[in-house]
Amino acid sequence: MVEISDIFNETIRHEIEEFLEVPEEIERNVRLFSSVSPLLQEIAAALIDGNHESVDALTQQALTEGYEALEVMDGGLISGMGIVGIKFREAFIFVPEVLSCARAMKAGMKHIEPILSASGIEPIGSVVMGTVKGDLHDIGKNLCIMMLGGAGFECIDLGVDTSADDFIDAVEESGARIVGMSALLTTTMPYMGVAIEAFIDAGIRDDVQIMVGGAPVTEEFADAMGADGYGKDALACVELAKDLLGVN
Amino acid sequence: MTDSEAAELRKRLDRIGEIFGDLVSHAEKTSIERCPYRDRFDSCTALFSCRNQQSVVGESVEKPQCGHDGVFDYRDAWEAKPGHAENVKQKIVSIRAEAEERRGTGEIEREQL
Repeated sequence: MVEISDIFNETIRHEIEEFLEVPEEIERNVRLFSSVSPLLQEIAAALIDGNHESVDALTQQALTEGYEALEVMDGGLISGMGIVGIKFREAFIFVPEVLSCARAMKAGMKHIEPILSASGIEPIGSVVMGTVKGDLHDIGKNLCIMMLGGAGFECIDLGVDTSADDFIDAVEESGARIVGMSALLTTTMPYMGVAIEAFIDAGIRDDVQIMVGGAPVTEEFADAMGADGYGKDALACVELAKDLLGVN
Repeated sequence: MTDSEAAELRKRLDRIGEIFGDLVSHAEKTSIERCPYRDRFDSCTALFSCRNQQSVVGESVEKPQCGHDGVFDYRDAWEAKPGHAENVKQKIVSIRAEAEERRGTGEIEREQL
Protein backbone atom coordinates (compact mmCIF):
# COMPACT_ATOMS: atom_id res chain seq x y z
CA MET A 1 0.00 0.00 0.00
CA VAL A 2 1.54 3.28 -1.06
CA GLU A 3 1.23 6.39 1.07
CA ILE A 4 1.29 10.06 0.12
CA SER A 5 4.60 10.30 1.98
CA ASP A 6 6.04 8.01 -0.73
CA ILE A 7 5.79 10.95 -3.15
CA PHE A 8 9.11 12.77 -3.19
CA ASN A 9 7.93 16.15 -4.46
CA GLU A 10 6.48 18.42 -1.79
CA THR A 11 4.40 20.45 -4.28
CA ILE A 12 2.73 17.31 -5.62
CA ARG A 13 1.99 16.10 -2.09
CA HIS A 14 0.48 19.47 -1.27
CA GLU A 15 -1.62 19.51 -4.46
CA ILE A 16 -3.09 16.11 -3.67
CA GLU A 17 -3.76 16.90 -0.01
CA GLU A 18 -5.17 20.35 -0.67
CA PHE A 19 -7.21 19.97 -3.85
CA LEU A 20 -8.18 16.35 -4.42
CA GLU A 21 -11.33 15.23 -2.62
CA VAL A 22 -12.57 12.11 -4.44
CA PRO A 23 -11.00 9.03 -2.73
CA GLU A 24 -10.47 7.16 -6.04
CA GLU A 25 -8.69 10.17 -7.54
CA ILE A 26 -6.49 10.57 -4.45
CA GLU A 27 -5.57 6.89 -4.51
CA ARG A 28 -4.90 6.87 -8.25
CA ASN A 29 -2.67 9.95 -8.09
CA VAL A 30 -0.78 8.79 -5.00
CA ARG A 31 -0.10 5.49 -6.77
CA LEU A 32 0.90 7.26 -9.98
CA PHE A 33 3.20 9.89 -8.53
CA SER A 34 4.84 7.58 -6.00
CA SER A 35 5.90 5.37 -8.91
CA VAL A 36 7.67 8.07 -10.94
CA SER A 37 11.10 9.57 -10.43
CA PRO A 38 11.67 12.88 -8.61
CA LEU A 39 12.59 14.58 -11.90
CA LEU A 40 9.31 13.62 -13.56
CA GLN A 41 7.44 14.69 -10.43
CA GLU A 42 9.22 18.01 -10.72
CA ILE A 43 7.99 18.38 -14.32
CA ALA A 44 4.42 17.66 -13.20
CA ALA A 45 4.72 20.17 -10.33
CA ALA A 46 6.03 22.89 -12.66
CA LEU A 47 3.22 22.19 -15.11
CA ILE A 48 0.57 22.41 -12.38
CA ASP A 49 2.14 25.73 -11.40
CA GLY A 50 1.89 26.94 -15.01
CA ASN A 51 5.64 27.51 -15.11
CA HIS A 52 6.43 26.99 -18.78
CA GLU A 53 10.11 27.88 -18.45
CA SER A 54 10.70 25.16 -15.86
CA VAL A 55 8.69 22.58 -17.81
CA ASP A 56 10.72 23.45 -20.89
CA ALA A 57 14.07 23.04 -19.11
CA LEU A 58 13.12 19.96 -17.05
CA THR A 59 11.65 18.08 -20.03
CA GLN A 60 14.80 18.70 -22.00
CA GLN A 61 16.86 17.56 -19.01
CA ALA A 62 14.83 14.36 -18.63
CA LEU A 63 15.23 13.43 -22.29
CA THR A 64 18.95 14.23 -22.16
CA GLU A 65 19.30 12.00 -19.10
CA GLY A 66 17.83 9.13 -21.07
CA TYR A 67 14.19 9.06 -20.01
CA GLU A 68 11.90 7.70 -22.71
CA ALA A 69 9.38 10.10 -24.27
CA LEU A 70 6.56 7.87 -23.02
CA GLU A 71 7.85 8.08 -19.43
CA VAL A 72 8.09 11.87 -19.61
CA MET A 73 4.59 12.15 -21.06
CA ASP A 74 3.01 9.74 -18.57
CA GLY A 75 4.86 10.67 -15.39
CA GLY A 76 5.42 14.39 -16.01
CA LEU A 77 3.15 16.04 -18.53
CA ILE A 78 -0.08 14.02 -18.65
CA SER A 79 -0.12 13.30 -14.92
CA GLY A 80 0.38 17.00 -14.16
CA MET A 81 -2.37 17.99 -16.57
CA GLY A 82 -4.65 15.46 -14.88
CA ILE A 83 -4.33 17.38 -11.59
CA VAL A 84 -4.97 20.65 -13.46
CA GLY A 85 -8.19 19.16 -14.86
CA ILE A 86 -9.41 18.16 -11.40
CA LYS A 87 -8.61 21.58 -9.91
CA PHE A 88 -10.46 23.27 -12.78
CA ARG A 89 -13.48 20.99 -12.44
CA GLU A 90 -13.64 21.70 -8.69
CA ALA A 91 -13.30 25.48 -9.24
CA PHE A 92 -9.95 25.83 -7.46
CA ILE A 93 -8.53 27.36 -10.62
CA PHE A 94 -10.09 29.05 -13.67
CA VAL A 95 -9.51 29.63 -17.37
CA PRO A 96 -6.46 31.95 -17.06
CA GLU A 97 -4.64 29.40 -14.89
CA VAL A 98 -5.62 26.51 -17.18
CA LEU A 99 -4.22 28.38 -20.17
CA SER A 100 -0.92 28.94 -18.31
CA CYS A 101 -0.74 25.20 -17.62
CA ALA A 102 -1.54 24.42 -21.28
CA ARG A 103 1.27 26.74 -22.29
CA ALA A 104 3.61 24.85 -19.94
CA MET A 105 2.43 21.56 -21.46
CA LYS A 106 3.22 22.93 -24.91
CA ALA A 107 6.72 23.92 -23.73
CA GLY A 108 7.33 20.33 -22.69
CA MET A 109 5.77 18.80 -25.80
CA LYS A 110 8.10 20.89 -27.95
CA HIS A 111 10.90 18.48 -26.93
CA ILE A 112 8.74 15.41 -27.57
CA GLU A 113 7.75 16.48 -31.10
CA PRO A 114 11.02 15.42 -32.81
CA ILE A 115 10.55 11.97 -31.27
CA LEU A 116 6.98 11.88 -32.57
CA SER A 117 8.19 12.86 -36.04
CA ALA A 118 10.83 10.14 -35.94
CA SER A 119 8.08 7.63 -35.20
CA GLY A 120 6.06 8.81 -38.19
CA ILE A 121 3.61 10.95 -36.22
CA GLU A 122 3.46 14.29 -38.03
CA PRO A 123 1.17 17.28 -37.38
CA ILE A 124 -2.18 17.03 -39.19
CA GLY A 125 -1.54 20.48 -40.63
CA SER A 126 -0.61 24.06 -39.77
CA VAL A 127 -3.08 26.71 -38.71
CA VAL A 128 -2.43 30.45 -38.49
CA MET A 129 -4.54 31.87 -35.66
CA GLY A 130 -5.13 35.46 -34.59
CA THR A 131 -7.63 37.87 -33.10
CA VAL A 132 -8.34 40.53 -35.69
CA LYS A 133 -7.12 44.13 -35.71
CA GLY A 134 -8.69 46.36 -33.08
CA ASP A 135 -9.65 43.45 -30.85
CA LEU A 136 -7.68 42.46 -27.75
CA HIS A 137 -9.73 39.44 -26.67
CA ASP A 138 -7.54 36.37 -26.69
CA ILE A 139 -9.10 33.66 -24.53
CA GLY A 140 -11.40 32.19 -27.20
CA LYS A 141 -8.50 32.07 -29.63
CA ASN A 142 -6.22 30.58 -26.97
CA LEU A 143 -8.74 27.84 -26.16
CA CYS A 144 -8.93 27.05 -29.89
CA ILE A 145 -5.13 26.88 -30.08
CA MET A 146 -5.05 24.58 -27.05
CA MET A 147 -7.61 22.26 -28.67
CA LEU A 148 -5.98 22.36 -32.09
CA GLY A 149 -2.58 21.56 -30.54
CA GLY A 150 -4.11 18.69 -28.58
CA ALA A 151 -5.68 17.37 -31.78
CA GLY A 152 -2.32 17.30 -33.57
CA PHE A 153 -2.28 20.62 -35.44
CA GLU A 154 0.70 22.92 -35.46
CA CYS A 155 -0.49 26.43 -34.55
CA ILE A 156 1.10 29.73 -35.44
CA ASP A 157 -0.30 32.17 -32.90
CA LEU A 158 -0.33 35.79 -34.09
CA GLY A 159 -1.85 37.03 -30.84
CA VAL A 160 -4.30 39.89 -30.73
CA ASP A 161 -4.83 43.02 -32.83
CA THR A 162 -3.70 41.16 -35.96
CA SER A 163 -3.71 43.03 -39.27
CA ALA A 164 -4.58 41.50 -42.63
CA ASP A 165 -0.93 41.87 -43.65
CA ASP A 166 0.19 39.91 -40.57
CA PHE A 167 -2.18 37.07 -41.47
CA ILE A 168 -0.95 37.05 -45.07
CA ASP A 169 2.74 37.20 -44.06
CA ALA A 170 2.27 34.31 -41.62
CA VAL A 171 0.61 32.16 -44.29
CA GLU A 172 3.35 32.92 -46.79
CA GLU A 173 6.10 32.16 -44.25
CA SER A 174 4.58 29.00 -42.78
CA GLY A 175 2.79 27.53 -45.75
CA ALA A 176 -0.24 26.97 -43.51
CA ARG A 177 -3.38 26.00 -45.36
CA ILE A 178 -5.81 27.15 -42.70
CA VAL A 179 -6.31 30.58 -41.17
CA GLY A 180 -8.44 31.09 -38.07
CA MET A 181 -9.69 34.58 -37.27
CA SER A 182 -11.33 35.50 -34.02
CA ALA A 183 -13.31 38.58 -32.99
CA LEU A 184 -15.23 39.14 -29.79
CA LEU A 185 -16.82 42.49 -30.55
CA THR A 186 -19.41 43.51 -33.09
CA THR A 187 -17.25 46.55 -33.83
CA THR A 188 -14.21 44.47 -34.80
CA MET A 189 -15.99 41.58 -36.53
CA PRO A 190 -16.19 43.37 -39.92
CA TYR A 191 -12.38 43.41 -40.01
CA MET A 192 -12.55 39.68 -40.71
CA GLY A 193 -14.21 40.64 -43.99
CA VAL A 194 -11.44 43.17 -44.67
CA ALA A 195 -8.79 40.50 -44.05
CA ILE A 196 -10.53 37.97 -46.30
CA GLU A 197 -10.66 40.55 -49.08
CA ALA A 198 -6.94 41.22 -48.52
CA PHE A 199 -6.22 37.53 -49.14
CA ILE A 200 -8.06 37.85 -52.48
CA ASP A 201 -6.11 41.00 -53.33
CA ALA A 202 -2.83 39.26 -52.46
CA GLY A 203 -3.73 36.47 -54.88
CA ILE A 204 -3.55 33.71 -52.24
CA ARG A 205 -7.21 33.32 -51.27
CA ASP A 206 -7.45 29.96 -53.06
CA ASP A 207 -4.39 28.66 -51.22
CA VAL A 208 -6.00 28.83 -47.78
CA GLN A 209 -9.19 27.89 -46.01
CA ILE A 210 -10.39 30.65 -43.71
CA MET A 211 -12.40 29.86 -40.61
CA VAL A 212 -13.92 32.49 -38.35
CA GLY A 213 -15.33 32.50 -34.84
CA GLY A 214 -16.03 34.54 -31.74
CA ALA A 215 -19.03 35.48 -29.62
CA PRO A 216 -20.83 37.80 -32.10
CA VAL A 217 -20.00 35.71 -35.20
CA THR A 218 -22.68 33.50 -36.71
CA GLU A 219 -22.87 31.20 -39.72
CA GLU A 220 -24.74 33.97 -41.51
CA PHE A 221 -21.99 36.51 -40.84
CA ALA A 222 -19.34 33.99 -41.88
CA ASP A 223 -21.12 33.42 -45.19
CA ALA A 224 -21.56 37.15 -45.74
CA MET A 225 -17.82 37.68 -45.25
CA GLY A 226 -16.91 34.91 -47.66
CA ALA A 227 -15.29 32.70 -45.01
CA ASP A 228 -14.95 28.97 -45.64
CA GLY A 229 -16.28 27.96 -42.26
CA TYR A 230 -17.58 29.09 -38.89
CA GLY A 231 -16.77 27.46 -35.55
CA LYS A 232 -19.07 28.29 -32.67
CA ASP A 233 -16.53 27.24 -30.04
CA ALA A 234 -13.10 25.66 -29.58
CA LEU A 235 -14.41 22.11 -29.94
CA ALA A 236 -16.16 22.99 -33.20
CA CYS A 237 -13.01 24.74 -34.37
CA VAL A 238 -11.06 21.47 -34.36
CA GLU A 239 -13.75 19.59 -36.28
CA LEU A 240 -13.99 22.44 -38.75
CA ALA A 241 -10.21 22.51 -39.29
CA LYS A 242 -10.22 18.76 -39.93
CA ASP A 243 -13.15 19.12 -42.34
CA LEU A 244 -11.41 21.92 -44.20
CA LEU A 245 -8.31 19.75 -44.64
CA GLY A 246 -10.42 16.74 -45.55
CA VAL A 247 -9.04 14.59 -42.72
CA ASN A 248 -12.29 13.92 -40.87
CA MET B 1 11.28 2.90 -33.10
CA THR B 2 8.89 -0.04 -33.32
CA ASP B 3 5.28 0.16 -34.49
CA SER B 4 4.06 -0.67 -31.00
CA GLU B 5 6.06 2.21 -29.50
CA ALA B 6 4.61 4.56 -32.11
CA ALA B 7 1.13 3.27 -31.26
CA GLU B 8 1.79 3.96 -27.57
CA LEU B 9 2.88 7.53 -28.39
CA ARG B 10 -0.28 7.96 -30.45
CA LYS B 11 -2.35 6.81 -27.45
CA ARG B 12 -0.70 9.47 -25.27
CA LEU B 13 -1.48 12.17 -27.83
CA ASP B 14 -5.08 11.02 -27.92
CA ARG B 15 -5.15 11.20 -24.12
CA ILE B 16 -3.82 14.78 -24.21
CA GLY B 17 -6.51 15.62 -26.77
CA GLU B 18 -9.16 14.16 -24.45
CA ILE B 19 -7.89 16.12 -21.44
CA PHE B 20 -7.89 19.36 -23.44
CA GLY B 21 -11.36 18.56 -24.77
CA ASP B 22 -12.67 18.16 -21.22
CA LEU B 23 -10.98 21.37 -20.12
CA VAL B 24 -12.44 23.34 -23.03
CA SER B 25 -15.94 21.89 -22.52
CA HIS B 26 -15.80 22.90 -18.87
CA ALA B 27 -14.46 26.34 -19.83
CA GLU B 28 -17.37 26.87 -22.24
CA LYS B 29 -19.84 25.92 -19.50
CA THR B 30 -18.34 28.02 -16.73
CA SER B 31 -17.78 31.03 -18.98
CA ILE B 32 -21.54 31.63 -19.06
CA GLU B 33 -21.45 32.76 -15.44
CA ARG B 34 -17.83 33.62 -14.75
CA CYS B 35 -15.78 35.77 -17.06
CA PRO B 36 -12.96 33.66 -18.55
CA TYR B 37 -10.51 36.52 -17.98
CA ARG B 38 -11.11 36.41 -14.20
CA ASP B 39 -8.39 34.42 -12.47
CA ARG B 40 -8.45 32.53 -9.19
CA PHE B 41 -7.58 35.69 -7.27
CA ASP B 42 -10.58 37.45 -8.90
CA SER B 43 -8.13 39.67 -10.78
CA CYS B 44 -8.90 40.64 -14.38
CA THR B 45 -6.31 39.30 -16.84
CA ALA B 46 -7.83 41.04 -19.88
CA LEU B 47 -5.72 43.30 -22.06
CA PHE B 48 -8.75 45.48 -22.79
CA SER B 49 -11.09 47.72 -20.82
CA CYS B 50 -14.20 46.31 -19.24
CA ARG B 51 -16.82 48.10 -17.19
CA ASN B 52 -16.50 45.40 -14.51
CA GLN B 53 -12.85 46.25 -13.79
CA GLN B 54 -12.43 47.80 -10.35
CA SER B 55 -9.32 49.34 -8.86
CA VAL B 56 -8.60 48.46 -5.27
CA VAL B 57 -8.46 51.71 -3.32
CA GLY B 58 -5.29 52.20 -1.32
CA GLU B 59 -3.62 49.08 -2.67
CA SER B 60 -0.94 48.87 -5.31
CA VAL B 61 -1.97 45.98 -7.58
CA GLU B 62 -0.91 45.17 -11.11
CA LYS B 63 -4.31 43.96 -12.27
CA PRO B 64 -7.74 45.39 -11.48
CA GLN B 65 -10.23 43.26 -9.59
CA CYS B 66 -13.27 41.89 -11.41
CA GLY B 67 -16.49 43.33 -10.06
CA HIS B 68 -18.81 41.10 -12.07
CA ASP B 69 -21.51 39.48 -9.92
CA GLY B 70 -22.33 36.62 -12.28
CA VAL B 71 -25.95 37.69 -12.64
CA PHE B 72 -25.90 39.28 -16.10
CA ASP B 73 -24.04 38.46 -19.29
CA TYR B 74 -20.64 40.11 -18.75
CA ARG B 75 -19.86 40.16 -22.49
CA ASP B 76 -21.96 43.29 -22.96
CA ALA B 77 -19.46 45.09 -20.74
CA TRP B 78 -16.76 44.51 -23.36
CA GLU B 79 -18.66 46.23 -26.15
CA ALA B 80 -17.65 49.79 -26.95
CA LYS B 81 -20.99 50.27 -28.75
CA PRO B 82 -23.66 47.97 -27.31
CA GLY B 83 -26.48 47.28 -29.77
CA HIS B 84 -24.18 47.81 -32.73
CA ALA B 85 -24.78 44.31 -34.16
CA GLU B 86 -27.57 45.36 -36.53
CA ASN B 87 -25.23 47.61 -38.49
CA VAL B 88 -22.48 45.04 -38.80
CA LYS B 89 -23.96 42.86 -41.52
CA GLN B 90 -24.47 45.90 -43.74
CA LYS B 91 -20.88 46.90 -43.10
CA ILE B 92 -19.63 43.43 -44.08
CA VAL B 93 -21.66 43.51 -47.29
CA SER B 94 -20.26 46.92 -48.19
CA ILE B 95 -16.66 45.78 -47.48
CA ARG B 96 -17.07 43.00 -50.06
CA ALA B 97 -18.81 45.24 -52.57
CA GLU B 98 -16.16 47.96 -52.30
CA ALA B 99 -13.35 45.42 -52.65
CA GLU B 100 -14.96 43.93 -55.76
CA GLU B 101 -15.45 47.39 -57.22
CA ARG B 102 -11.80 48.26 -56.62
CA ARG B 103 -10.73 45.03 -58.26
CA GLY B 104 -12.98 45.81 -61.24
CA THR B 105 -11.33 49.18 -61.77
CA GLY B 106 -7.83 47.76 -61.49
CA GLU B 107 -7.18 49.83 -58.39
CA ILE B 108 -5.75 46.85 -56.51
CA GLU B 109 -3.18 46.14 -59.21
CA ARG B 110 -2.10 49.81 -59.21
CA GLU B 111 -1.82 49.80 -55.41
CA GLN B 112 0.37 46.71 -55.53
CA LEU B 113 2.67 48.32 -58.12
